[in-house]
Amino acid sequence: MKIGLECHVQLPTKSKMFCSCPTEECEFPNTYVCPTCLGMPGSRPVLNRQVLVYGIMIAKMLNCEINDTTWFARKTYFYPDMSKSVQITQYDNPIGERGVYYLDGKKPIRITRIHIEEDPGKTKRTADLTSLVDYNRSGIPLAEIVTEPDIATPAEARAFLTQMIGDIKHLLNIPDELEWVVKCDCNISVGTERVEIKNVNGMKHAEKALHAEMIRQIAMIKAKKKILRETRRYDPERDVTISVRVKEFEDQYGYIDEPDLGIYHIGELADSIKISESPQNKILRLSNQYKIDQKMAKQLVNTSMDLADLFEEVAKEFDTAAAIKWVGGPISANWRAMEERGEVDLSKLKGFIREFADGKITDTQCTIEIKSYMTGVDASAAQEESAGLESLINEFLDSNPKIVADYQKNDKAANQVIGYVMRQTGGKYSSAEVVETAKRLIEARF
Amino acid sequence: MTMDATLRDLKKINEKYQMFHTMTDNTDPCDAKFLFSAKDNLTSKDMETCAGSRILEGYHPIFDAASIEKLREVGGKLIGKTNMDEFGFGTFSANSGFEIPRNPYDTSRACGGSSGGSACAASVIEDHISLGVSTGGSICCPASFCGVYGIAPTYGRVSRFGLIDYGNSLDKIGVLSQKAGDLREYMKIIAGKDDRDPTSMVQPDFDTGYKKMKSVAIPKEGTEGLSKEVESVFKEAVEKLKSMGVEVDYVDMPSLRYAMPAYYILATSEASTNLARYVGMRYGHQEGDHTLKFDDYFTEVRTKYFGDEAKRRILLGTFTRMAGFGGRHYAKAREVRQVVINDYKRVLKDHDAVLAPTMPFTAPKFDDISKMSALDSYKADYLTVPANLAGTPHLSVPCGYDSDGMPVGMQFVADHWNESVLFSIAEDWEKQFDLKRPEVSI
Repeated sequence: MKIGLECHVQLPTKSKMFCSCPTEECEFPNTYVCPTCLGMPGSRPVLNRQVLVYGIMIAKMLNCEINDTTWFARKTYFYPDMSKSVQITQYDNPIGERGVYYLDGKKPIRITRIHIEEDPGKTKRTADLTSLVDYNRSGIPLAEIVTEPDIATPAEARAFLTQMIGDIKHLLNIPDELEWVVKCDCNISVGTERVEIKNVNGMKHAEKALHAEMIRQIAMIKAKKKILRETRRYDPERDVTISVRVKEFEDQYGYIDEPDLGIYHIGELADSIKISESPQNKILRLSNQYKIDQKMAKQLVNTSMDLADLFEEVAKEFDTAAAIKWVGGPISANWRAMEERGEVDLSKLKGFIREFADGKITDTQCTIEIKSYMTGVDASAAQEESAGLESLINEFLDSNPKIVADYQKNDKAANQVIGYVMRQTGGKYSSAEVVETAKRLIEARF
Repeated sequence: MTMDATLRDLKKINEKYQMFHTMTDNTDPCDAKFLFSAKDNLTSKDMETCAGSRILEGYHPIFDAASIEKLREVGGKLIGKTNMDEFGFGTFSANSGFEIPRNPYDTSRACGGSSGGSACAASVIEDHISLGVSTGGSICCPASFCGVYGIAPTYGRVSRFGLIDYGNSLDKIGVLSQKAGDLREYMKIIAGKDDRDPTSMVQPDFDTGYKKMKSVAIPKEGTEGLSKEVESVFKEAVEKLKSMGVEVDYVDMPSLRYAMPAYYILATSEASTNLARYVGMRYGHQEGDHTLKFDDYFTEVRTKYFGDEAKRRILLGTFTRMAGFGGRHYAKAREVRQVVINDYKRVLKDHDAVLAPTMPFTAPKFDDISKMSALDSYKADYLTVPANLAGTPHLSVPCGYDSDGMPVGMQFVADHWNESVLFSIAEDWEKQFDLKRPEVSI
């Protein structure tokens, strides 16, 4: 089975790709529009250069070769939400080509190309079978990332998308909590003929759509029926794919170069753009460089890139063991609490570790200090709390010694302890803190 | 004369010559320093803009084209929008969804096209300048047929903001007038960078000084296929040029023969994508059967309101863009464009301009036009197309009259951005040329 994806991600510019209309969501239809994004006769596109910058950043993240010169093309098709009946996109010489992106740091997924293009508007169907068009989205900049058919399963497609989108969000500084729609065209062939599922919304649906289509194709092959080269869509309610049209060839769009926009020499711009390490790459590097479990690296990075950076600082100033013990331990466990308080003085935390390293405070005292500072609870109360938690866990471990042995085979065994404590204390401790304490106390019994 | 009376007179003149599709109702003189008109494919805030097409009937743009805006800023009053071939598709302004302008020298003849109404207005109205647009010869052709001066500047010299596109890589906005000096004066105003049209942003400064034309090259290919009368008028004009101290050489420019097919491929490819937006939504005619599926509705509106020539060019352009043909036609045409540019550059290294008659014949009668095939009229543009394809500036001057008294024009083509040498020869020529104005009666 072969799966290839074409995914469209919105680029976080303030104004649209070819005009100065805002890109924000708008409650009222056809409000953020102007002659250019409405395609009024006589209007003309003017490129928002930030779109090139974002495109180059993603191309770099996907290890693409960046073309020295890039330009735009017209893709002509008739649809009410496409105001010019022409979409400005890229055809020859897109921003980046021939990249590769590693899934979990291991499996290479080849990237065919990344190009930038404008989004059409939105068609809304009403109950009486008429349609209304809203052009607020018309001209919003998108990057389209096209992969080779290197993805083996629907689940892998989802994992790929999740990882890549996480990396792109970090790269372009898109807040985690911001809902950020990713649309995919999913190509899948179980046998020899390729079927495209158009316009799938989000990663979960991508997996489900691919799965539904995989089942359909397998059934067709078993029944010795011919699979047509066609475009289908996914109906999430019924969990099936439905034929839209038999696929014609791509060139039916009659691409020509966009004559209103010139040729952009982006070589120098590309050289000047340095991108920060992607979360995925950071996970891999931390795990290799400090010989720590990938799980731990992932936990650090996924909690916060700052936490991962602190890990590295502590590893350099002290040693890896200290970084694992303190940053991977109580600091990580209380990170969210600290973020919520908005109190972030990392040198304070390093100060506690220094005191411990110099023998001025004990292991327990250091843990208490860290927790107290990070949560804002005073030291004696924090100590009491921690002591309470620790004695609860120790009592449980005393009466269930098998857990320690099980844990050495599979760390999921800690879940029994965590479940017990959570039930006993009813949410008094954060789950991160319970997990950290439980693991620490179990490991102390090895 | 009051503005009111002026406009009343012009309306009467218009009944006879049909140069305007729309005229202003605003009789307020607004301290107008001069009156001007503009081809109807340039958007105007205060007047409907249709580009000669019924599909745009009722389109009232919310913005002025950059060139109109600039003329208004310096005190110009826009009095009307001129008739033209639908979207610029034609050589005689006869492919219009509306009125067909009549030649000022003989109303049974055409004005040329596609800026026919603009040339007619420039010829008929005194002290008037008109904005035209050239894609493949649409300024020089009607200038020649109507006996006026007309310039199509270098591609990118005048902002195309507000121009209803025909072929975006070819379209140029220029000026037509009875007076050679007007071309320099008004081009100075409308030329220049405009960040609303990125293709205008690469131009060097506009050199407005006098620059004597010392030598011209006449390509062999530019003197073939001429009518006898055009040939003899042109010969005389060349002798006159020599007497003015302009050195004349005869050269070969073999690439000019290939300009025509390359031009029609590029122009129709671009045009067919530009015209895709006219589907009876958002502006223009929208009163089709709304219960149809959207593509049937689009087809209904397009079938009803596009003229035959627009449909023909959509078909041609869609064909040249089709899968498998794109490479053979469109890409090749772009290569030919480069070859033509190189040929001009080669000749213009040693000469200030390339010279030939503007059109191979004088303004034809409407009866004869109706007998011409589409291909016949495409071929009539063979003298104006090469410079348009190359994006080089070109200027047509009236150079004589045939035995029926119809004007003959000749066209100078200069190197990119070198408009000033064209203005200078036009001004020098005007000093010794006996311009015969048409007799205009109200």
